[in-house]
Amino acid sequence: MTLKYVGQNITRPDAVQKATGKALFLADLKLPGMLYAAILRPAYAHAKIVSIDVSEAEKEPGVVKVVTGKGCAKKHVYGDNIRDQIPMADEKVRHMGEALAAVVATNPHAAKEALKKIKVQYQPLPVYVQALDAIDPKAVPIHEKAGDYWHLPCFTPKNGSNLANYYHLIKGDAEKGFQSSDVVVEGEFKYPFGSCAAIEPHGSIVWFHEDNTIEIWSSSICPFIIREEVARVYGRPESDVRVHIPEVGGCFGYKSDIVVEQTIAYIASFVPGYPVKWVATRKEDFTSTLLGHGMLIRMKIGAKKDGRLMALKTTVYHSTGAYSDTGVHVGNAAAHNSGGAYEYPNCDLETHLVYTNTPPIGAWRGYGHPEAMLAQERLIDILARKLKMDPFVLRDKNYLGPGKETALGEKLWETNGDIRKCVAIVKKAVFDKPKPKEDADYCYGRGFAAVMKSPKGAPFSSKGAYVKFNADGSVVVNCGGAEVGQGLRNVVRLVAAETLKIPPERIHVYTEIDTQFSPWEWQTIGSMFTKQGGRAVMRACLKAIEQMKQTASQALRCDVDLLEYDGEKVFLSSDPSVNVPIEKLVRGYMYENGMTVGEVVQAVADARLPRYSGYDEKGQGSMGVSYTFGAQAAEIRIEKKTGKIIVDHFASSFDVGRVIQPQQIRGQVTGGVVMTIGAALTEEVRFDKDGKLVNPFFRTYRFPTIKDAPKRQTVEFVETPGTIGPFGARGIGEHPVIGAPPAILNAIYDATGIDFFEIPVTPEKMKRALDAKADGGKR
Amino acid sequence: MAEKITFTVNRVPRTVEIEGWEKLIDVLRDQLGLTGTKQGCDDYSCGACTVLLNGKAENSCKVFAKKLNGAEVLTIEALAQGTKLHPIQEGLIEAGAVQCGFCIPGIAMRLYSLFERKLDASETEIIDALEEHLCRCTGYESILEGAKLAQKKMKAQN
Repeated sequence: MTLKYVGQNITRPDAVQKATGKALFLADLKLPGMLYAAILRPAYAHAKIVSIDVSEAEKEPGVVKVVTGKGCAKKHVYGDNIRDQIPMADEKVRHMGEALAAVVATNPHAAKEALKKIKVQYQPLPVYVQALDAIDPKAVPIHEKAGDYWHLPCFTPKNGSNLANYYHLIKGDAEKGFQSSDVVVEGEFKYPFGSCAAIEPHGSIVWFHEDNTIEIWSSSICPFIIREEVARVYGRPESDVRVHIPEVGGCFGYKSDIVVEQTIAYIASFVPGYPVKWVATRKEDFTSTLLGHGMLIRMKIGAKKDGRLMALKTTVYHSTGAYSDTGVHVGNAAAHNSGGAYEYPNCDLETHLVYTNTPPIGAWRGYGHPEAMLAQERLIDILARKLKMDPFVLRDKNYLGPGKETALGEKLWETNGDIRKCVAIVKKAVFDKPKPKEDADYCYGRGFAAVMKSPKGAPFSSKGAYVKFNADGSVVVNCGGAEVGQGLRNVVRLVAAETLKIPPERIHVYTEIDTQFSPWEWQTIGSMFTKQGGRAVMRACLKAIEQMKQTASQALRCDVDLLEYDGEKVFLSSDPSVNVPIEKLVRGYMYENGMTVGEVVQAVADARLPRYSGYDEKGQGSMGVSYTFGAQAAEIRIEKKTGKIIVDHFASSFDVGRVIQPQQIRGQVTGGVVMTIGAALTEEVRFDKDGKLVNPFFRTYRFPTIKDAPKRQTVEFVETPGTIGPFGARGIGEHPVIGAPPAILNAIYDATGIDFFEIPVTPEKMKRALDAKADGGKR
Repeated sequence: MAEKITFTVNRVPRTVEIEGWEKLIDVLRDQLGLTGTKQGCDDYSCGACTVLLNGKAENSCKVFAKKLNGAEVLTIEALAQGTKLHPIQEGLIEAGAVQCGFCIPGIAMRLYSLFERKLDASETEIIDALEEHLCRCTGYESILEGAKLAQKKMKAQN
């Protein structure tokens, strides 16, 4: 298929506004009569609230209202999967980032100052930071009556236990699989707490209007979920809640699901008539939104002597934080995707999702995949050593592909992509040349990881598109997909241009989301916009073309199936000189006497993944539907004196089906790779034993600067068309973050002979391990 | 205690009333409506709020407003001339460095400060300047490329 516009590097529609500082983000918005909220965070991570005294705070200058959570647990419970959240602590606090009280004032400074005057008395309870501690039967339950919360039938919260959910997937017979294996390898892996750490912190504005409608602005990617949940809690029709999403300054997962909005709505409900604004400090963005990961993974794999994988056993302990609603699917996804890019005939995969006294876990780019594949890809390398087999050969014997079946029980086809082509590209870029010899200062290593990613969505998840033709033949496309930097507006523009055969410069794409005008979309997650949103755009465009043909058939007095469309006109296929230009069709066709027939050309469509399902009794189901495969590899250098690990070159290749915009897709990959070079080498959100987050700043939560980025990245794509996305395209947003940690850890082994099972491998840890090795393991 | 300060912002003299706790970023964003300058952190580590203060790149979240009397401040809003973008903005856009865009105003001002001072800055010097900025989207490849493209464009204009 030759394409005219898809595959072109057109400038993204939001670039100029952003580069001139004119683009409006949440913090930039000012509304008439605006008030400002500041939120008090508890001094304990787990405690009963004995009393809160706000009388002094109420007297402070500029203070309009002081709010506590007293009684809110009775009517304000919320959550999409498990309703275990409340907007403000009531009776007890469950983590130190929770909202405990709030001050509304005439300016943000006055609000913050008044917080200092609130006096709270607590009765401390034992604090649990890690799942394994909280799951102990003797542990004090963080939620006493978790089992009583409303929850989807597939989840299993229980009263008196910190086990928020237990998920178990069975494929074949893992026990028999291990019995028939010649070799078994196992390990315990740790993917610690992390922050998505977008440069724009979370924020929200909520306005309870006098006419009982509610208006909300938020730096979020799920306006329609916010609308639904706020409407439910405050007993309003959804149509009376209007949610705006301005520009979003990065997401990477943690601005999905409802996060801070219920809290700000609760605060604003005490001052109806006034818009209340709250923007997280960086510290609050760490402590009081969503974190990522927090997983301990025990994994065991069994194989035949010839390298055939026979069985996989995975046990995930997920420290999911004080509220499990946003973490429950992440934990499940880590288990059911833990086979990675390989076929295992026998699987026994489980996740213990455990309440802990830490901020809730939510989506973090990759959604369970990076954690699981750190374990899988490290163990495959270890297995290859045990089998004395080239790890590329071992992997090649087991890749998922046409005719193979995933752990979820889904069959794969050629249209799911070709991992072997990606492997060949990466292998050539990194391994098909001699490795530098160790010298006085450095040792050198190379490591590989195969990547599999499926979306984690919901069966009802859909994305809408609205296409409107203007009188001059130009086009407006409106969708509900949140632009967070990934460049989806250009995807919309290119897909519409290609389908409508109209140049992209004549297609205008929406700039903000407003639930009053935007087509419905569940939420912009799971690397699904190009595939699903793009498909919706394509379907709407095709409907619009059909409308023009219908009208033209009346104008030209012929059957509609004799007509063709070329972006400028509708014409008779047997005689193109008989035609109507589209400008004469878009408002209906007007005869010479002024009489007009035909529909105004505007069309709505949506798209969902086909046959996406929930879990069956074996924990399986159609929950991938669309898979993307790829390969990644790292060339590293380790400074022997300091233990510092330098990534000199990183190579990535993914079978994305179709590249829509080459510059943007490269940017997704280079950015994702650097993001998880951070996860592999420096990033960890740390808690002390009291549950205090000790490094809630960029100086202490170190993520890569330009000097930590590899000097060179190889990024190449394979384009085996898929069947769902527009022009064969698949998702790519999350995929680049999956392979870097295992590839780097495999490279560390290659350089030093030292196996790491947890990240980040900081210079200190590396140096200690090098010294211990030099001492012959005596230290 | 409120006090009045007079300083120049984007070549226009401004007098504003400030409180003792206010920083330059608060005056720019809240009082003057210049929201192109962004706040991403609390510990002077992200660089998103970078402006030119008396000709030098500075974190505007670091500078107390009361010290601004007589100062000259230049923000991202002054970089383009009408609809004509500055070559730094063009370079960053053409290289694909604008993704979420939250870090871009600060980076643009840093590069402006660097290239106004030293148009033939070496790649190492450019990287040293960019190290003051955090970006979570791009992996920095396109930012460096955009900086070099901007430098080339500025040289061609000279």
